Amino acid sequence: MSADAAAWDAHEASGLEALRDLRAARRRRYAEQIDWIENLYRLYLGVIFGGWGLALISGALADVRVDRHAVEQIHRYGPAALGMLVALAVAGGLRSGARGGPLVLEAADVQHVLLSPVDRGAALRGPAVRRLRTAGFVGVVAGLIVGNFAFRRLPGAPAQWLFFGAAFGGIVAELGLASAMIASGRRIHRGAVLLLSVLIAGWSLADLFGHRVTSPASMLGALALWPVHHPGDSFALPAVGVAVAAAAVGIALTGLAGTSLEAARRRAGLAAQLRFAVTTQDLRAVILLRRQLASEIPRSRPWLRLAPAEGPRRAVWRRDWQSFLRWPPVRVVRVCVLGAIAGLALLGAWRGTTPLLVVASLALMVAAFDAVEPVGQEVDHPTRLSLLPVAARDVIRRHLVASVVVMSAVLLIAAVAATAAGAPAQLVGVLIVIALPAAILSLCCAALSVTNDPYAYALAPQIGYVQSGLPVALVIIGVDAPVFLAREAARHGSSPVGAAIGAEFVVLLICWGVVAWLGHRLAKSSPVRS
Amino acid sequence: MTRTKRKRKPAPSESAVLVTNGLRREYGDLIALAPLDLQIAPGELVALVGANGAGKTTLLAIIAGLLEPSHGTIRVCGAPAGSLAARAETSYIPDTPIFYQDLSLGEHLEYVARLHAAPDWPRHAASLLEQLGLAQWGDKLPTQFSRGMRQKASLALGFIRPFSLLLADEPFDGLDPASRGALVEMLRAAAASGAAVIVSTHRTEVADISSRCIALHDGELVYDGPPDQAVVAGHLPPRDDPLLGAEVGEPGPAPGAR
Repeated sequence: MSADAAAWDAHEASGLEALRDLRAARRRRYAEQIDWIENLYRLYLGVIFGGWGLALISGALADVRVDRHAVEQIHRYGPAALGMLVALAVAGGLRSGARGGPLVLEAADVQHVLLSPVDRGAALRGPAVRRLRTAGFVGVVAGLIVGNFAFRRLPGAPAQWLFFGAAFGGIVAELGLASAMIASGRRIHRGAVLLLSVLIAGWSLADLFGHRVTSPASMLGALALWPVHHPGDSFALPAVGVAVAAAAVGIALTGLAGTSLEAARRRAGLAAQLRFAVTTQDLRAVILLRRQLASEIPRSRPWLRLAPAEGPRRAVWRRDWQSFLRWPPVRVVRVCVLGAIAGLALLGAWRGTTPLLVVASLALMVAAFDAVEPVGQEVDHPTRLSLLPVAARDVIRRHLVASVVVMSAVLLIAAVAATAAGAPAQLVGVLIVIALPAAILSLCCAALSVTNDPYAYALAPQIGYVQSGLPVALVIIGVDAPVFLAREAARHGSSPVGAAIGAEFVVLLICWGVVAWLGHRLAKSSPVRS
Repeated sequence: MTRTKRKRKPAPSESAVLVTNGLRREYGDLIALAPLDLQIAPGELVALVGANGAGKTTLLAIIAGLLEPSHGTIRVCGAPAGSLAARAETSYIPDTPIFYQDLSLGEHLEYVARLHAAPDWPRHAASLLEQLGLAQWGDKLPTQFSRGMRQKASLALGFIRPFSLLLADEPFDGLDPASRGALVEMLRAAAASGAAVIVSTHRTEVADISSRCIALHDGELVYDGPPDQAVVAGHLPPRDDPLLGAEVGEPGPAPGAR
């Protein structure tokens, strides 16, 4: 080793030591500021009430256990179906990585650490490991919750379901994040990411149709369903899946040095704003910032150009379609996937897994946040809205018309997905009945959420929480209750469609109330008084 | 200000600190920087001027390694910009001061100095704080400083570490006359000690001390030469420009004074 090289290495080591010292000092300072007793008490309450609540709800639902045939079907298709979920997580991670994600650094770290002569890989490893740890924990908790519902309907020991559910959740979360880090650190081109995603998803799809377990994603699916494995099955396949995931994490952690500083700087600024928006429960700001973080920008060329029109007739309708026709491909795909998830979740709920109703309604609400974009744009520019020669509530109502058409299409996708997965005619009939009211309700509630004034209840945060939580609760009740009642009617020999129609009158009443409240709120908050 | 020459990994021998070849940066359809060929020698103090949106910040960020060029190459002391060796030689003072929320100014200085293995940094830090009028502020959080104080703290962070190339983006913004004078001296001293200094600015003080002026317009190099000729060519405002009277070194006449 030359003298110059030795001096260089010593210098680099000194930089890394400074980095370690600073981070340790900041951790110590942070720990000193924490009220440990208070936080441990909160954690204790959270675990106790969360755990009991979950056990109580899952026990109270008293879902019926699946029959032998269904278990066989799960054994046959389950690994590949779950493998598709894994493939989607990996594809999502790769996409995020190709756009600079997933690490979110402090702007000061980018300026002072990443521009210093310290190995960037070593400097980024700490934040990356923390991110993996958090994602893994969230995945484990999600896996435990799903495992808790699974053992009540499926054969197998509860402990096994909880363990393998947690393992699957944690590993998938880490794999998705590691995929993002690989794409970001190795600077994988967006085109290559797309190709890779299609290949991974295609492999899982081939497994699904061929009833095989050949892709690592399906192998992880087999891990999740290990509690219902056949006696002769070998654990080698799930183990290979776990090994592939571990290798991905290893590759991710060794390739961090290539992370783009430009992306890191951009994300640092956006993430700081995003944290603030989350703190103030400003959902509209959260949506906009998240889109910027994901580089989700409208197309400069619309998918379809509308023919030129003159005069004020249907101006709002046209404006809305001009907005929808500029949706980037990722938003189109996301909304379609959410529709399919809603349909499959409703089917699962119909067959007996009641908690899936919540998944379906939340999927619809998330899709509605995209469909309600024109309303969001109006709310972003309140002065312009107030200066129009039309009452604000009328403008908002007109905006909702085009959005309802989009959401009806999402509900149609849900119905198609459920039918393709073998939904009975009764459920298809119920889906047709609930489609329009569910579309209107999810849109109204999304509109209510994006028009919330985050500072209205700064002095009374409890009211602010209610204001944020109410739209979600309304969607869960308004979408799920008719399906639940219809299912119960079918179980007791009554007409499920009739039960759904009866419930939808109440849902439409809720919609009317929400639209009226929306108009009242907009008129009240208008910066220009008539 | 003393500057320590750092031992670095073997680099090709060259006289220029900064060499750019066909450097170009695009944002989609927008050309932020047209192909640019530059060479900056040690000891040069360059005033980088141009209207808002001319591409000054983009150029400095690319040299610092924060942005990547769409085309072309850029080398700092023989090493590609953004590489470990180039980072060791380049000090970048951004147009917006950036600090950790939970570190005092003194802790920031210690951290940056140690990251760059700056020798004798405690003495150097004390001298910098003194020069910039921040001696009493070392144990305060810079995130709670006023705009001008933050700018001075940012300058201190840029000067605490050794460098061969100093990039300062609008460093005079928000500074009071005394601090502007101190900064001029610090820039002059940095160039005198052999570092190449590039200062993006609209201010005439820099023209007075700089050895060279580079003007950008819409991302294109429109002038590269002596600063006095830049004034003649209209790329820099004349020192007696009444619009700049309140901003340049000497205080302007009181409102209404004859």
